[in-house]
Amino acid sequence: MKIRATIALVFLAAAAPAQDRYATIAQATNARMVKVFGSGGFRGVVAYGTGIVVSPDGYVLTAAGSLLDTPELRVHLPDGRRCSAKLVVIEPALDAALIKVEMVEDLPFFDVAAAAARPLALPGTWILGFTNCFEIATRDEAMSVQRGVIQAYTRLPLQRGIFEAPYTGEVYVLDAVTNNPGAAGGALVSRSGTLLGLIGKELRNAAADTWVNYAVPVQARIEVRDGEAKRIVSLAEFVSLGMRGQYKPTAKPEKSAGDGGYHGIVLVPNVVERTPPYVEETVPGSPAAAAGLRPDDLIVYVDGEPVISVAAFRAIMSRTHAGQVIKLEVRRGDRLEPVELKLGERKPQK
Amino acid sequence: MRRYVWLGLLLTASPALAQPDLDAANEQWLQAAAGKVAPSVVLIETTGGRGRAGTGGPTDSGIRKGTGPTTGLVVAADGYVITSSFNFADKPTAITVSVPGRPGRLVAKVVAIDHSRMLTLLKIEATGLPVPEAVPPGDVRIGQWAIALGRALDPLPDHPPSMSVGIISAVNRIWGRCLQTDAKVSPVNYGGPLVAADGRVLGILVPASPSGDGETSGFEWYDSGISFAVPFHHVLAVLPQLKAGKDLKRGLLGITPKGSDQFSVALTVNTVTPESTAARGGIKPGDVVIAVDGQPVANQAQAYHILGPKYAGDKVAITVKRGDEEKTFRDLELMGNVPPYRHPFLGILPVRDDPELGVAIRSVYPGSPAEKAGLQAGDRIMKVKLPGMAKARAFSGRDQLREMLDTVPAGVEIQLECTAGDGKSKSATLTAGLLPDDAPVLVSGGDATARKALAPRKQPAPDLPDLLKGKDKDKGKAKDKAPKKEEPKAEEKKAAAKPPETGLLQRTSPARDREYWMYVPPTYDPNVAHGVVIWLHGSTAVGREGKDVMEIWGPVCASNNLIMIGPKSTSATGWLASEAEFVIETLQEVLPQYTVDRQRIVAHGMGTGGQMAYYLAFNSRDLIRGVATSGAPLASTPKDNVAGQRLSFFVVAGGKDPLAKDIAGAKPALTEKRFPVCFREVPDMGKEYLDRATFEDLVRWIETLDRL
Repeated sequence: MKIRATIALVFLAAAAPAQDRYATIAQATNARMVKVFGSGGFRGVVAYGTGIVVSPDGYVLTAAGSLLDTPELRVHLPDGRRCSAKLVVIEPALDAALIKVEMVEDLPFFDVAAAAARPLALPGTWILGFTNCFEIATRDEAMSVQRGVIQAYTRLPLQRGIFEAPYTGEVYVLDAVTNNPGAAGGALVSRSGTLLGLIGKELRNAAADTWVNYAVPVQARIEVRDGEAKRIVSLAEFVSLGMRGQYKPTAKPEKSAGDGGYHGIVLVPNVVERTPPYVEETVPGSPAAAAGLRPDDLIVYVDGEPVISVAAFRAIMSRTHAGQVIKLEVRRGDRLEPVELKLGERKPQK
Repeated sequence: MRRYVWLGLLLTASPALAQPDLDAANEQWLQAAAGKVAPSVVLIETTGGRGRAGTGGPTDSGIRKGTGPTTGLVVAADGYVITSSFNFADKPTAITVSVPGRPGRLVAKVVAIDHSRMLTLLKIEATGLPVPEAVPPGDVRIGQWAIALGRALDPLPDHPPSMSVGIISAVNRIWGRCLQTDAKVSPVNYGGPLVAADGRVLGILVPASPSGDGETSGFEWYDSGISFAVPFHHVLAVLPQLKAGKDLKRGLLGITPKGSDQFSVALTVNTVTPESTAARGGIKPGDVVIAVDGQPVANQAQAYHILGPKYAGDKVAITVKRGDEEKTFRDLELMGNVPPYRHPFLGILPVRDDPELGVAIRSVYPGSPAEKAGLQAGDRIMKVKLPGMAKARAFSGRDQLREMLDTVPAGVEIQLECTAGDGKSKSATLTAGLLPDDAPVLVSGGDATARKALAPRKQPAPDLPDLLKGKDKDKGKAKDKAPKKEEPKAEEKKAAAKPPETGLLQRTSPARDREYWMYVPPTYDPNVAHGVVIWLHGSTAVGREGKDVMEIWGPVCASNNLIMIGPKSTSATGWLASEAEFVIETLQEVLPQYTVDRQRIVAHGMGTGGQMAYYLAFNSRDLIRGVATSGAPLASTPKDNVAGQRLSFFVVAGGKDPLAKDIAGAKPALTEKRFPVCFREVPDMGKEYLDRATFEDLVRWIETLDRL
C-alpha cells in the first residue's frame, strides 16, 4: 500500500516539469559555471574554455593550459556579465588552474572542500557534464549538458606511454563524449547535483587511436616529485590554499635523461614495431644472470606492467635506477615465472 | 546464491528506497546487472606480434590492432574464454588472462577462431569459473537496456569492470550476425559482454561493419553510438565446434552480384567463380536470385540477410529465374574460401579517347593470346562473343569492352570480330589468359590516344539478343563502372568557360582547410584523358613538396599524359588511416576539373606513404586502379580481387632495406588474392626513392594499366 502510494507520488513528480530532477540540477549547475576566454585560436589550440565558480567572490577552477597565458583573460558569467579575470595559480601535477574574476560578489558556487569529502563515485553512476565545448555558448547562454555514466575509475596509464596527459592520478572515464575543444575545466556532477570532478582536455589513447573522455575527480590526491622531494597534492587543498594566496605549486617534473639501472639482459634484435621481448642472452655476472634469466625467456611483465615489445621494455627500464629491485614475469614454456632482479650501476660507456 | 538474494532485495526494495528518485533505482539496477556478470569478465594482455614498419605507417595510429589490454568473457567453467578477434589481428606471441578473484595471470592459448563473427576462443588452465547466462534469442527487444562491460581501462580485474550504458538499437545487423547498441563500444571493451538489465548476457562486443569482413573493420565507428555485439546464445551454440579446435568461416556461394545497388534491384548473378559452390551447383551468370532457403528475396540485401549468418559447410537452397524458367538448386554446401576472381586477358593495349565503334589496337603483347590469334597493332576489334552469348556483340570503346570482359574469368574462349588495318575483316578465337603481372616493353604501335575524349561517342546499333538487353538495362545504375559517358560533356562546358590551370598548383581543400599540391603538365589537352598519380609522401620531409617530386615526375607527366596530386599529411610520423578521407576528397575535387582516365588512377608512395597507398586502394576500390609502393610492408591481409574493380600492384623493395623481407611479403600475399603484381627488388637500394630503371618500369606500368 505504502509502496503504491510512493510510486504514484513519483509519477506525479515526474509529470511536473519544474520538478524534473535533471532540469533542477542543470539550472543550479549552470548558475555556477563560467565561460573563459584567453589566448589561442591557432594550430588547433582554441581560445576558449570552461570554469567552475568555487567561491562567492569569483574564484574559478579551470584546466591549466595556454588559454591562460594572457593578461587579457576574460570570463562570461551566467548572468551575461563580461568580466576581467586574473590567473592566480597553476598546479601542473593536477593540470588545474585557479583564476579570479575581478569585481564580483555573492556568486553561486560549488564548495570544493565539501565535495572532496564525499566518497568516490562508482562505475555505472549517472553523471551530467557541463562544458562550453566548441564555444557554443557566450554571455548568459547555458553550457552544453551531456548525460552518461562513469565508465571506470582508473589511472590514465601514462607510464605505458599511451596517454599524453600531465595529470597522472586516477580519473573518471566517462561514456559520454564530453572532452571536446573548450570543454576542459567543465563540471562533472552527479544526478543529485554534487560536484564530482573537473572535465579534462581532449586526450588521445595513441595505442588504440581512440579519444578518451575523462574528468579529474574532485577528491584527486596524488603523490608527485617536487624537484628532489616527494609531496602530496590534492585538488581540494589547491583550491582552498589557492584562494588564500598560500598555494605553492610543484616544480615541473624534470625528465630523467638516464638509461636507468643496469640489468644485463640482451634482447633479440628489435626488427619490427612489436618485436616480442625475448631474452637472447644475459651478460655473465650481471643481475640478469644472477637472477637466472635464460635465453628464450619471454618478458611479459615488469612490476605488473605489461611489456608489449622490445621498445616498451627499454622505455620501462629507462625509468629505473641502480639499486632498485624489479619483478619480472617471464614466459618459459607454458608457464609464467617470476624473476626478481636487483639493478646495478650502469658502467660509463667509452 | 547470496548475490541472488541481495539482488532480489534490491529490486523489490528500490522503488520504496528511492522515494522520488527513479534515477537512483535505475542506476543501482544497472550496476547490479553489471555486478552479476563482472566475475566472468576477464582481462587479456598480449605481447609481441606481427610487427610493422619501423616508425609506423597509416595502420600504426589509424587501425593499430589491439596492442593494449583487452577484454574477454568466460564461456565454460573449465577455462574457455571468448573474445573479439580484434585483439589478435597482430598474432601476438604471448597471451595472458587475468581472472577476477584469482591471483596472478594465466597463459592462454588460441583454440579456434570464428572468422564470420570475428571472435576468438581462448583456453586457460583453470576450473570452476563462473559462466554467465545468455538472453535467449526471442527475449532480445529493441529498446531494452544494454550495458557494455570492459576490462581494458583498469589493469586490476578485482575492480569493477568499465561500464557504459545504452540500449539495444537493432537486431539482425551485419547481415543477420549482430545486435546493435548505442552503448559506447571501443577497444576499451571489445571482447567484453553486452549485458541486459537482468544480468544475463546479450552478446559479445565486436567491431563490425556491414561492408567489411576483417578483424578490425568497424573500428572506425568506435564510441559513435553505433556498435555491435554477436548474440551470446549464438556463441554458446557454436562453442562445441570452437572447443574442438574448428575454425569457422563465413559460408560463400562464389557469385558476384551485378551492380552495387543492394536495395532497389534484384540480385542478378554477374560472375560465378569456377569451382565454387555456385558453379558446381549449376548457377549461371545472368540468373536472377528470387528465393533463398524458400524465402523470397527482392534485392541483394534480402539475400545477404539470409546468407550472412551461414557458415562454410552449411547448406542452402537457391531459387533463380533464368529467362522464363524458375530453377531451385538444393543442398548447396557453402564454401569457406572461394578462389578470387581472375581477370581475363586478351593481350592488347587499346587506343584511348576514341569515339568510334569498337576498339583500335595500339599494340599487342608479345606471346599473348591476341598475338597467337594473329591480331596486330592497327586492327580494330568490332564485336566480341563471350561464353553464354548467342552471337557476337558490338560495343563502343575501351571501357565497354572492359566491362564485358569483366563478366568472364580468365581461361574462357573468346571470339573477336575485327577490321584489319587494310579494311578487311578478320575474326579470331582465343583463350583468354590471366592479366599479367609485368608491364611489357612497348612494341612499336599506334598512338596511345585518338585525342577525341570529348567527342560524342558512337553507340552500337541495338541489335542485341534479349538476354543482353536485360543486362544492359541496369548498366547505368552500376556506380562502380568507370567513366560515365555523360561526364566528358560536363567537363567540356567547364573547359570552354575557362582554360584549365596547368603547371604546379598549390591548393587548399575547401572542405577541410588542408593543403595539397597538384601538377598538370603544360601539354594538357582536355581531349586526352590523363592518368592520375596520387603521390603519398613518406614520413620524413622528403617528397612532401611538389617541386621536389616534379623534378623527377614533371617530364613523365608531360610525355605520358599524367596529372599528379600531392596531398600532405598533418601527422609528423606519417599517414593516419583517418586521413584517407581527405585524400579521396582531394581526388574527387580534381576529377571533374580535368579529363581523367579512370583506368589509370594510381596511389603511389614510399615508406608510410606506400602503406597509405595500400590502405587507400583497398578502401576506395571504386576509384583506385593501381598501387605503386616502395619500401612499404603490407600491413594487413589484402582483400580479394573483384571483377568490376580492377586493381594492379607495383611493389618495390630495396635489398638493403632492413624491412626488405616484410616488403617482399606483399608479392605472394597479393598474388594469392589474384591481383597482378609487378615486383622489383633493387639490390643496392635502401630507403631512398626508386633507381632510374625501376622508375622507368613504373612509368610503363602506369601507361599499360588499361591493358585488356
